[in-house]
Amino acid sequence: MTDKSQEKTGPETFFADWMKMTTELWDPMAWMWSAFHKTTGMTPDSIKDGKRPRMQESWDTAQKTWQAFSQVMSEPETMETLLKGAGMLPEIFLKTAQTGSKTFVNFQKQWLEGTGKLQESARTYNIEEDAFKAWTQLYEQEFRKFFKIPQLGLTRFYQEKMIRSMDKFNIYQTAVTEFSRLLLLPMEQSFQVLQEKLTELADKGDLPEDSKKYYQIWIKILEGQYMILLQSSEYTQSLNKTLNAMSEFSAVKKEILQDFLNMLPVPTHKEMDDLYKEIYLLKKRIKELEKKK
Amino acid sequence: MTQPRIAIDLILSKLAEDAEKARTRAEKAPEVLLGPLETEIATTPCDIVYEEDRVKLKHYTPATKIQLNRPLLLVYALINRETMLDLQPGKSVVQNFLQEGIDLYMIDWGYPTRKDRYLTIDDHVNGYIDNAVDFILKKHNLDKINLMGICMGGTFCVIYSALHPEKVQNLVLTVTPTHFETNKGLLHIWMRDMDVDQIVDTYGNIPGDIMNLAFLLLNPARLMIDKYVGFLENMDNKNFVENFVRMEKWIFDSPDVPGETFRQFVRDCYQKNLLIQSKMEVGGQVVDLKKITMPLLNYYGKYDHLVPPEACEPLISKVGSKDTENVCLDTGHIGIYVSSKCQKEFVPRIAQWLKQRTADKKKLKIKKTSRKKSVAIKKATQTKPALKTKKNK
Repeated sequence: MTDKSQEKTGPETFFADWMKMTTELWDPMAWMWSAFHKTTGMTPDSIKDGKRPRMQESWDTAQKTWQAFSQVMSEPETMETLLKGAGMLPEIFLKTAQTGSKTFVNFQKQWLEGTGKLQESARTYNIEEDAFKAWTQLYEQEFRKFFKIPQLGLTRFYQEKMIRSMDKFNIYQTAVTEFSRLLLLPMEQSFQVLQEKLTELADKGDLPEDSKKYYQIWIKILEGQYMILLQSSEYTQSLNKTLNAMSEFSAVKKEILQDFLNMLPVPTHKEMDDLYKEIYLLKKRIKELEKKK
Repeated sequence: MTQPRIAIDLILSKLAEDAEKARTRAEKAPEVLLGPLETEIATTPCDIVYEEDRVKLKHYTPATKIQLNRPLLLVYALINRETMLDLQPGKSVVQNFLQEGIDLYMIDWGYPTRKDRYLTIDDHVNGYIDNAVDFILKKHNLDKINLMGICMGGTFCVIYSALHPEKVQNLVLTVTPTHFETNKGLLHIWMRDMDVDQIVDTYGNIPGDIMNLAFLLLNPARLMIDKYVGFLENMDNKNFVENFVRMEKWIFDSPDVPGETFRQFVRDCYQKNLLIQSKMEVGGQVVDLKKITMPLLNYYGKYDHLVPPEACEPLISKVGSKDTENVCLDTGHIGIYVSSKCQKEFVPRIAQWLKQRTADKKKLKIKKTSRKKSVAIKKATQTKPALKTKKNK
């Protein structure tokens, strides 16, 4: 008896009760729906061509399905089977979690390997001596590959452009920073040379009395330092690298902007360029023909 | 008692003196900066007599009786504006030419927009310049014109004179690059490895601001620091401030450069150096320098860091003309047109050279490069210290 009473208050009884209660809730709703149609004159009889409104038809079908489903589900045998299945859940969860954690551990391992490579690379590139060059190499060899992960799905082209713009921006930033550093070098060096020069003048007792003279000495040294830098292959390489990086970033930025502009009722640069080219060629042809006349 | 090796007392007293001067300047400066300033540029009266697309042809109102029956057409570069030749009253190349009785025309290239990105050197030389020349020839009922080019405009004039020698009486070039394979000029070094295709494909036209930044980087110490220190030291001087602002207006008035023109100029000239080898093609025609048979006067600056003498000098040995002259001035790229010293010598000398070759062709004795003439020029140089002349043959 006790067992039976326990069974009656068990989870299967709870689900059966809940199903019954839900059905009881939706039955009056269905009744109200019919009543609403009666008041508006939209009774099944009033429908022309023997067709009822689509919404009412769907509602009736759903109600019938629910009633059939709840009837089956309310049977204690069904509930028992269901609950037995639920007992398996922790096992399923555990398996899923194990697979997930394995993937995570693998990923972490790869990441750690990557970090190890970074440290190794950092040592190889001698970060202290040439930080910007080292960072560029590090970025290009170790980080950049993450921006090349293939994109999937409907918006993959847009995603690719966004990711490409991030990549190009990073390259541009690095190039600009390196270029700026180069431009600042003559400043640093000019002050060093100035100090040496002043020490030398002080030793000789030839220090200028006019403060403007100090400025003139410094600006001349600075000009000389810049001339050395500006003629160096290091500067030319950095300049070209910066210009290229700027162009590449600018190009991908324009591509993204063009995608947005495509959605607006305005012509894009590409469309205008096509038009300008046609006008240019037409004008040129007309001028040639006019000259031949 | 011995003297200290460092005259601290003198240095300090000088410093105090300078501080006092700076204070006085700072007090006076607002009067100048807040007061009325005359900073207009390109004020010499002129008429726009011909227009094509963005390009205008200016004809200057004569200041005196015309002494030369053939007009002179000035062709400026596509970089910056032709207003530099008429920067300030009393220091204007344009005004000086008018004072010499020259009938003067000048091409104003205007401001290229995105629709001009496809214009090539051919469009500028065989299109705009040729049309302007035809207009002047027709107006004056002449068969030939005097042509003068400045910087890149000079390079265009060289190409034009080689392709249309029948329309050019005399050719004057100033700071004109024609030989690009040199390490003396920073631009020549920088342009060599530039990926011009990528830049033109990205930007269409080359933005004037980028060009300006590149020019400032040619000498950051002077152009970005010393110049403005000079301004601070003279900001209580109205005349100085006015001239300084005029120059600033000109320097930073930088039109974009049409993309395709820039691409060809960098690739064919700076990177392949085709022009001086008579291998450059413009509008489907090879630019053969031997076809330049008219008298040629070639001016350049000894201290020009943009177009060094090495980029200008070889031309006279490559052209077909026997009447050629290289003139090297002791100045820089802009100094030729704006320095007081050069102003006194530069234009009168060109005017004289033109008059000699235009007045009466029968009397004109075309002088080949000779020791005699070289000596004569040296003598002239001794009396005119601003000029340094160099014969290159």
